[in-house]
Amino acid sequence: MNWYAIQLECLLAILAVVVLLTDAFRPVRDARRIGLILSALVGLTLLYSFTMQPLGEAVFQGMYRLDTLALFFKRLFLLATAFVLLMSAEFVERIEAGRVEFYVLLLLCATGMLVLASANDFILMFVALELVTICFFVLTSYLRRQVPSLEAGTKYLILGALSSGLTVYGIAYLLGITGTANFEKLRAVLTEAPVGEATGLWFGMVLVLAGLGFKIASVPFQVWAPDVYQGAPTPVTAMLAVGSKAAGFVLLMRVLMTGLLPLEPVWGPVVLGLAGASLVYGNLGALPQRDIKRLLGYSSIGHAGYVLMGVAAVNALGVAAVLFYHGQYAFTTLCAFLAIVAVTRVTGRDDIASFAGLHRRAPILGLALFLAMMSLAGVPPLSGFFGKFQLFAAVIDRAQMDARYYWLAGIGAAAVVVSLYFYLNVGRAIYMQSSDRTDAIPVSWPVRVGLWICMGAMIGLGVYQRPLVDAALQAARVFGLE
Amino acid sequence: MTDAYNVQYLFVAVFLGVAIVFPLAPLVIARLLAPRRPTPVKTDVYECGVEAKGDAWVQFRVGYYVYALVYVIFAVEAVFLYPWAVAFTGLSVGAVIAMLIFVLLLVEGLAYAWMKGALDWK
Repeated sequence: MNWYAIQLECLLAILAVVVLLTDAFRPVRDARRIGLILSALVGLTLLYSFTMQPLGEAVFQGMYRLDTLALFFKRLFLLATAFVLLMSAEFVERIEAGRVEFYVLLLLCATGMLVLASANDFILMFVALELVTICFFVLTSYLRRQVPSLEAGTKYLILGALSSGLTVYGIAYLLGITGTANFEKLRAVLTEAPVGEATGLWFGMVLVLAGLGFKIASVPFQVWAPDVYQGAPTPVTAMLAVGSKAAGFVLLMRVLMTGLLPLEPVWGPVVLGLAGASLVYGNLGALPQRDIKRLLGYSSIGHAGYVLMGVAAVNALGVAAVLFYHGQYAFTTLCAFLAIVAVTRVTGRDDIASFAGLHRRAPILGLALFLAMMSLAGVPPLSGFFGKFQLFAAVIDRAQMDARYYWLAGIGAAAVVVSLYFYLNVGRAIYMQSSDRTDAIPVSWPVRVGLWICMGAMIGLGVYQRPLVDAALQAARVFGLE
Repeated sequence: MTDAYNVQYLFVAVFLGVAIVFPLAPLVIARLLAPRRPTPVKTDVYECGVEAKGDAWVQFRVGYYVYALVYVIFAVEAVFLYPWAVAFTGLSVGAVIAMLIFVLLLVEGLAYAWMKGALDWK
């Protein structure tokens, strides 16, 4: 057994089991404190992960890779989990029963994501995907006396089960035709054999893509996103927006750019089309939204479109852009949700109108939410601008060879302009609208620390991009693209 | 794709055919051969030989589902333990440790359910 490769996953799983048993034998009274402690512990795990070195070889019979890409995403997931646990500590008083179990499920979900970042084999990928998805089934419907939460849970359950079914069906086809579930071996088999021969191969590939498309909420598998984002408890929404999405993208890249790379002429145009459609759907759908979580649900579809631009480019620049984008998107989105949790804790409402005059009631929350919205819109000098800039650069680079990519860049540019409207709308509510309620919203010190970290990262990565760009370029090298 | 590959699916088709014909055959044979002399007692609805009482739309105690879930712990354990036990003599130390971890995780699930009162019938 190669313990070195799976130590982070083991740490999280042990943490989850210990917390669960502790609560069973000595029921926890102060759930908020446990949440803060867990958040700090996951934060320490994140720091510890920077001492780890990538392994050159795949371990566990070639199923598991600890390369720079895996480490990049593992750190991203740990970061997201630490922040989501912090949010949950603020949120936990609104949960009627099973407060400690809420943390445990989040930790198990994170464990699954860390495994996903390393998956080099369809079977391992499917098992880890199920661990993540099943945890989300429970988490989305956690506020079980509230109809929207139940609705979100039911929708996620039905569509999630469907997507899992599609994925496993596709895997069965690929496995049956090529005789291997390992991504690298799959690539070798496909390179040798003539591609156009087996229609079953395309069928399998489309089904696997559909399953992963559900995870990243790309058109045409996006219908669940707005409803689930709105209904689920806010920390869970944040985990879906940051963790689950990034997990979907790392898998998508590993499947497409390692296993199915020889079929690039087939899937390239498909991804191109999905990117364009997601950009249009997400950004237009967000325009009339009145609920901030629903707005972020549509915006998340739009961002899936932006990131798919980088995937569609199929070059090293594109992969690096995807990684950078995820890095900065994590800070931005977590900042937004952290602020939303702190506000809704007092107001109890999610509609954008209830954020009116926020800068008077809690200046730091107003500033944080405003900066997050501007970063999502891609306004310089915030990190979202540089993230989008890199994605567009990668697409333009590809367009030198294939003129269709100019169209994609054009759609992306139009989407950015459209998105300014609804992101600025939130900013307008915060700074320019007044509310009849002027009582201050208290902000606890852990939330303050979290917000300052996120805001610092958003501005820092927007101004001084080099460290994250270098890390992204280095991680992008694992695919060996040009 | 080779023919031999596709031929494998023939088994599925044959199996499907058999699966449809097999349960239908006795029903058809019974209809053709059996004499029919219905009386009120014969046509009565019954369950396990007991006379049915009341409506079919009764409410069940949801408490049952907790037992079903706890049962799953043992069911899954058995499914994995049997093949492991059969191959036990040929396994490495790592496989024994892996199974030990697996069983301990299931025990943890049981302990959790027990402590949370899932096994108390209230």
